Amino acid sequence: VTRSRTVLIVEDGTEYTDAFRSLVNSDSVELLRAGDGEEAARILTGRPADALFLDVVFDRTPPERLIGDLEAQISRFGGDRSRAERHLAENQGFYLLNELVPLLPETIPVVIAYDFSAEPERLAALRRVRSGLTGVADGTPISAVLESLLASVTTGDRPGGLP
Amino acid sequence: MLGDCPENAAVLATEADILVAQSQPRPDAATLERARRLYRRVRILSPSPEFSLRAADLACAAGDEEECGDLLSEVAEMGGTLLSPADRLLLARRMESRRAWREAISHYQALRKTAADSGLASWAAERIRHLEVEAEAQAISAPIAVLPPPEARLALAEARRAIATGDLRKARERLALAKRISPGYVEAALALAALETREDRVPEAIRAYREVLASDPTRFEALVGLANVLWDEPDRSAKEEALSLTERAIAVRPGAIELLRVSAVRWAEWGDAPKALARLDAYRRRSGALERRSTENLRETLARRVEALLSGQAAPEEPEVAEVASPAVDEWKLAQAYFRRGDPASLAAALDRLREAERLDPTFARAPELAGVIYEKLGDAALARAAYERAVSADPTRAATYERLAFLLARQPGKEAEAEETWRRAEQAGSSEALFHLAGAALRKDRRNEALSLYRRYLAESPGGVHTEEASRSISNLELRRRTIFSIGGGALVLLLVAGAAIAYRRSTGRTFEQWIRMAPGRAREARPIVGRLRHEVVKHGGLLLTDAARKLSEQDPIARANAAGLLLSRLFGGADARGLIRESSDVFDRIGALAREDGIRLNLDRKDPLFSPIARGSRILRRLEPALSRFEPEDRKTRRLVEALERSAALLRSVSGAEISRVLDEASATRVRFADLRDSLAAVCAERGLDSAYDLEPLGLFREDASRTLAVRVDRTDWETIWRNLFANSLDAARERPAADVRLGVSAELSRDPITGTPIARFVLADNLPGVLTSETIRGRGADRGWGVIADLVRRHEGSADVRAAPPPGYRKGIVIEFPAIESEVPA
Repeated sequence: VTRSRTVLIVEDGTEYTDAFRSLVNSDSVELLRAGDGEEAARILTGRPADALFLDVVFDRTPPERLIGDLEAQISRFGGDRSRAERHLAENQGFYLLNELVPLLPETIPVVIAYDFSAEPERLAALRRVRSGLTGVADGTPISAVLESLLASVTTGDRPGGLP
Repeated sequence: MLGDCPENAAVLATEADILVAQSQPRPDAATLERARRLYRRVRILSPSPEFSLRAADLACAAGDEEECGDLLSEVAEMGGTLLSPADRLLLARRMESRRAWREAISHYQALRKTAADSGLASWAAERIRHLEVEAEAQAISAPIAVLPPPEARLALAEARRAIATGDLRKARERLALAKRISPGYVEAALALAALETREDRVPEAIRAYREVLASDPTRFEALVGLANVLWDEPDRSAKEEALSLTERAIAVRPGAIELLRVSAVRWAEWGDAPKALARLDAYRRRSGALERRSTENLRETLARRVEALLSGQAAPEEPEVAEVASPAVDEWKLAQAYFRRGDPASLAAALDRLREAERLDPTFARAPELAGVIYEKLGDAALARAAYERAVSADPTRAATYERLAFLLARQPGKEAEAEETWRRAEQAGSSEALFHLAGAALRKDRRNEALSLYRRYLAESPGGVHTEEASRSISNLELRRRTIFSIGGGALVLLLVAGAAIAYRRSTGRTFEQWIRMAPGRAREARPIVGRLRHEVVKHGGLLLTDAARKLSEQDPIARANAAGLLLSRLFGGADARGLIRESSDVFDRIGALAREDGIRLNLDRKDPLFSPIARGSRILRRLEPALSRFEPEDRKTRRLVEALERSAALLRSVSGAEISRVLDEASATRVRFADLRDSLAAVCAERGLDSAYDLEPLGLFREDASRTLAVRVDRTDWETIWRNLFANSLDAARERPAADVRLGVSAELSRDPITGTPIARFVLADNLPGVLTSETIRGRGADRGWGVIADLVRRHEGSADVRAAPPPGYRKGIVIEFPAIESEVPA
């Protein structure tokens, strides 16, 4: 009997969660959704997830709920607070990765919704933080993402078929 | 005695009279014969009515009725005043027996005049009436014997088409063929007459029209056509015949009021003003105000319009036409004659004759047709229609019957459609008249092209027809309208073509995104977040969604299908918390286009851009799906087109590389930084300030390792140079009090990555050994110093940062750190 898998989806909306639920035959998968880093951390603290899916852009999340050192970013952008907040929102997936990885066992696969096909060195750099990290190439169907995630849960390998 | 005065007529006549007088009580045969011989000699010597009459008496007495009749006729020809009523009666009877109706009538008329008692005169009048019918009937030709075979009808149809298209040579050939196949083919003769008229071959036209009228004396078109041709002849007798034919045509078709006007004009020209006036008044009574106004002058000047025409013309040969061998023909001919008389009694007699004709030969179509005409004249439309329909049944090829029926129907309210249909059948049977009426019907229904074509055909087939003038006028009006429409349409077409060309031009021209960014690299900074949104909201989400949605819609489970459709609807077209993929895409395209327009550049992202066009096409496909998704019924299995559209748009979005778009931005906006360039900037600043060029710049960091190393940063080149010139200027200001040899300036370069996002960063440090203290606040301060303010603005604009390095390189007192995003490909992991 195959144990039901739990996938935590962190996104500011419900696009990915809805798409997973509506479009993928995921009877053996339990989908959890978190709207921001704090909620995701709370979920992961309460129960282990078998896989993590991260959206990148969180422009619908209130700035105060964004993960990341806002003051440092304000300083970096010459005191421009709005620019700093925008930077955090547009890269929130990466800040979440940095924040949540310590809460996850090393074997748990992580997919971030970003196409690294033109930035292989960047992906390689990020994998130094999380070796199981995988991006999602533009145009990849959501079913392929989920199947790859679930397969990697079983094999313990990095999700295949994704960059 | 005879021998004494053989050459004296009076003596010989007296001798003969004495011979007869002496033979009492009555002369014997020998005496009579001798007397008759004497009178023959007398008549040779001295022809006179008296001698002829006496000779006739002797012939009668001898029982020689033939010679008696001949002699009485001779007397009649010489004046006839000596003839007694009995002589006239004898002569009339004699002529009757010979079916010489006109001569018999003449004798009866003389008898009526000379009759002493009224009873005899009345009797003679009745005989005259009867014989006149017989005479008219005798003048009527029998219809042709056979219906034209299909080959002849086909040849005629081809001829008509050739006439309509102006190929008269072919028309003549086909008509000749039709007449060769069927020599008495009335319709072919009529078409030939039209052709000859059109080609101004007048004698041939007249012959052809006469051929038609010989077979079909009431054929309206032939009557009118021949009248028109003859009227144009200089021969006065021809004009007289034309007048007669026109009158006959009016009698055949009283509804043709235009013919009344024609008749009036002709009578006026003929010199018979009273008749002309009567015709014109009849025309004016039945026409409209416009027509009445247009004939005012004619009416006033009728009396002066007299013209004499001279000379004569030999009658054309009448064609030999086989007559119908129907037992009904004689009855029909008598009916025709009665019909021409027109009085109620004659019409009743005509109907009796026609009933008999129909009884004798139900296939003889002329009988019911004429009956129909008579019923029409009597005002009984129902009987007229029934009669015409019997005629059509008997001969479905006869155009004239259809014409009569169509006219009848057209006059009855509510039967316009039936009338038009009958005109169509008439046209198929070869009626040129039908063309005119069908043209009118087409015009009333605003089918102007059809009307124009029909009017033209009418003129081609019936150039001398009664409606020629009206058809010509209608054609002129229609052509004028058509030209106007064409002019307007042409103008509109030109506009459309111009608009089309403009659209085509706009679709085929314009710059691509990459061309624009390369021309205006400074715009990359503003385009980047917009493109980033396109990548995230459209390319990525679209790709994730569409393929699976298409597959889900193809599944059996209605709930899954409904869920998929609902999800698609909200994701593509927006919902409470999102604008939807379509709107996002459109918005991105608009914003990028607006940016380019600020640079005076028109982008063609929709059609020409290899990076953006697939997105535009995919969005267009998806946009059209909204109605189908909104009305989606889970039970409806007909989703094939929807699924195909989704798959097409998914494939298009899959073909787009958001990373490639970002790479274009990076490449276009990258500034290649070389140490030598920085050193040149320093020298330029020194030169501007008149300083010793001995100030040098020391390579540090990566530049120390390799002074020729090139680093690419995402900064506009102009801004980059401005930043460094300001940095150098500030340093030189600080170095103003010191010898150049004591001043150390160095620039180091480093490459790194943001530890969180992994994005590449190029870091440059300008180090010096000059006095003074720099703080982060100074560097980032907007108004503290003009140079620092400019630097701070430009750094911020390019998403870089500026700060003071706490630990400058060895040998330097302070360092200013400038960071900018670097180009990915040049920064190792």
